[in-house]
Amino acid sequence: MSTEGFATELPWMWSGLAAYALATLVALSGVVIQNVSGTSTRSGRFERLVLTLLVAGVVLLAAAIAQRWVRIGHGPWISLFELLMSQLWSLGVIYAIAYWRMPRFRASAVVVLPVFWVLGSWLLMLEPKASHFPATYYNEWKWVHVFLGKVYLALLLIGVGLAGVMILRRFPRAERWFRSMPADDVVDRVAWRVMMLALVFDSLMLIAGAVWAQDAWGRYWSWDSLETSAFVTWLALGVGIHVRLTYRVPPWISGAIIIGIFVLAFTTYLGMPYVSAAAHKGMV
Amino acid sequence: MKWFRLLASLKLTLVGMLLLVIGASFSYDNLLDVTMWVLVVPLALLALNLTAAIFTNSRINRQPGLLVFHIGLLSIIVLAAIGRLSFIDAHMEIAEGQGFTPDLLLETKKGPLHAGRLEKVRFVQGNFTVDYAEGMHRGLTNSQVLIPDERGQFTRKIVGDDRVLVLEGYRFYTTFNKGFSVVLTWQPDQGMPVTGRVNLPSYPLYEYKQDNSWTPPGASPVKFWLQLTTGMREDAAWVLDARNSRGTLVVTHGDQRVELQAGDSTRLEGGQLRYDQLSSWMGYKVYYDPTLRWLFFVSIIAVLGMAWHYWQVMGSRLFPAEARMQEKTFEH
Repeated sequence: MSTEGFATELPWMWSGLAAYALATLVALSGVVIQNVSGTSTRSGRFERLVLTLLVAGVVLLAAAIAQRWVRIGHGPWISLFELLMSQLWSLGVIYAIAYWRMPRFRASAVVVLPVFWVLGSWLLMLEPKASHFPATYYNEWKWVHVFLGKVYLALLLIGVGLAGVMILRRFPRAERWFRSMPADDVVDRVAWRVMMLALVFDSLMLIAGAVWAQDAWGRYWSWDSLETSAFVTWLALGVGIHVRLTYRVPPWISGAIIIGIFVLAFTTYLGMPYVSAAAHKGMV
Repeated sequence: MKWFRLLASLKLTLVGMLLLVIGASFSYDNLLDVTMWVLVVPLALLALNLTAAIFTNSRINRQPGLLVFHIGLLSIIVLAAIGRLSFIDAHMEIAEGQGFTPDLLLETKKGPLHAGRLEKVRFVQGNFTVDYAEGMHRGLTNSQVLIPDERGQFTRKIVGDDRVLVLEGYRFYTTFNKGFSVVLTWQPDQGMPVTGRVNLPSYPLYEYKQDNSWTPPGASPVKFWLQLTTGMREDAAWVLDARNSRGTLVVTHGDQRVELQAGDSTRLEGGQLRYDQLSSWMGYKVYYDPTLRWLFFVSIIAVLGMAWHYWQVMGSRLFPAEARMQEKTFEH
């Protein structure tokens, strides 16, 4: 096993990111052409191409992750480089499934796929240095926690896509892009169903994380930066659901709440581990 | 009953949740100077709110999944409170060959209602190894312990950062805190010999500060400095194992300075000191919370309740009927 030398995963990773970038451009072209044609009917060819490129990106990133796993001897759990690559893969898998199964919401990809660009651009700026696999990561509950977390973040991202549509529809030019999608009240209902499903996975993720933490660090909860931020995000999701139940919230505000929750979750996962020096420093 | 219904208000739920967000933010990094009330007050408020809602809100109590979830949440609050009242969180250092006793516990934090059976915990510390990867990154710890049964037979068990030792509900976790100790025998000029051990600071954390002191009975303090050869490397993987390590003990007593290898003796004022052998000690984190298993099962049941509710509401479909209608696409 070599831990130095050329990072053999890089060409696969670059190809995967390129596929995602192309998918974004095609998705944007699709809504623009639809806008120009003045029709609310979706472009089947563009949508099939977006899905194909998403799947290609997923397969190429899977190859990149596998290459790195073989090279350094452990999975993508530790460094920011590994977390981002793994997250781009899992978000791609789950969003590709959602894109396939939610034909009337495919136009929301123009909101979702740029998030992939942000993550991908960040990934390209990082060094692929080999990381050390700590003893606390040999726990099986780590797998459960990570899997649930990936599903949770992906569901939030789907919600963000729908939320973005509700907000962008307030602008006349952008409103035309989403004519093929259902009305705001339907989008809002679906968005919050996705968010409620996200709450299920978020809750399970926190439980699995607590079990892992108990055996890895000797306590199931310690209010360190990652746990505090994750708990605040979980509460924010609960607050959002209860706000929607208590008040008549216009769709764009509903969308803003969803995006706020996603920002909290994003900061928790990709920011907190690199802010705190506490014992549960995110990942070690 | 009107006040009970007011207590069940969704607006009060939002207030409680926002207070809990603030309390959680204050609790960040578990700061010692933050009062526990920043969490207790919002949790108590939410517990009252939940209780009232469970009884008075038909949207909760007539939907079984949602009811299970909210009862689960309330139970979690209660269990967490019981856990905090009865927990124990401590550290200890135990030497190779030493049997566990409750007085080994250090920096003990204990809930006021702790009623465990620490005195029933029995094990003897054995040797240990610690894997280090290149760059001195600590890997797996394998700490051997011997656990006696009723017949006096010992069972060997390996404990590590990833493998907890659970005895009488107390959980023992190995830590990065471990090191070497020297077993010494002091033979005073008059009286019986005394054998004991002196623990040196954590290794390799304090690689260059392996010193300590001890005052033999009837004598003045003796200083020790242990010069170790452990095979430690920064440029490659290695294994810390006291059985493969050597230590030269530098003994300083007044103006007298002498270097001893294991088995050597030296004459000091007041008696004879023998360096019997190099040994080791392991630091453990000790944790006890009787509610752990209950918290886990109640949490899972609560989430299953939530999932069940969503399944019923959504009619096993994520999308409302209008969203499922397929439209024709056009081809370019």
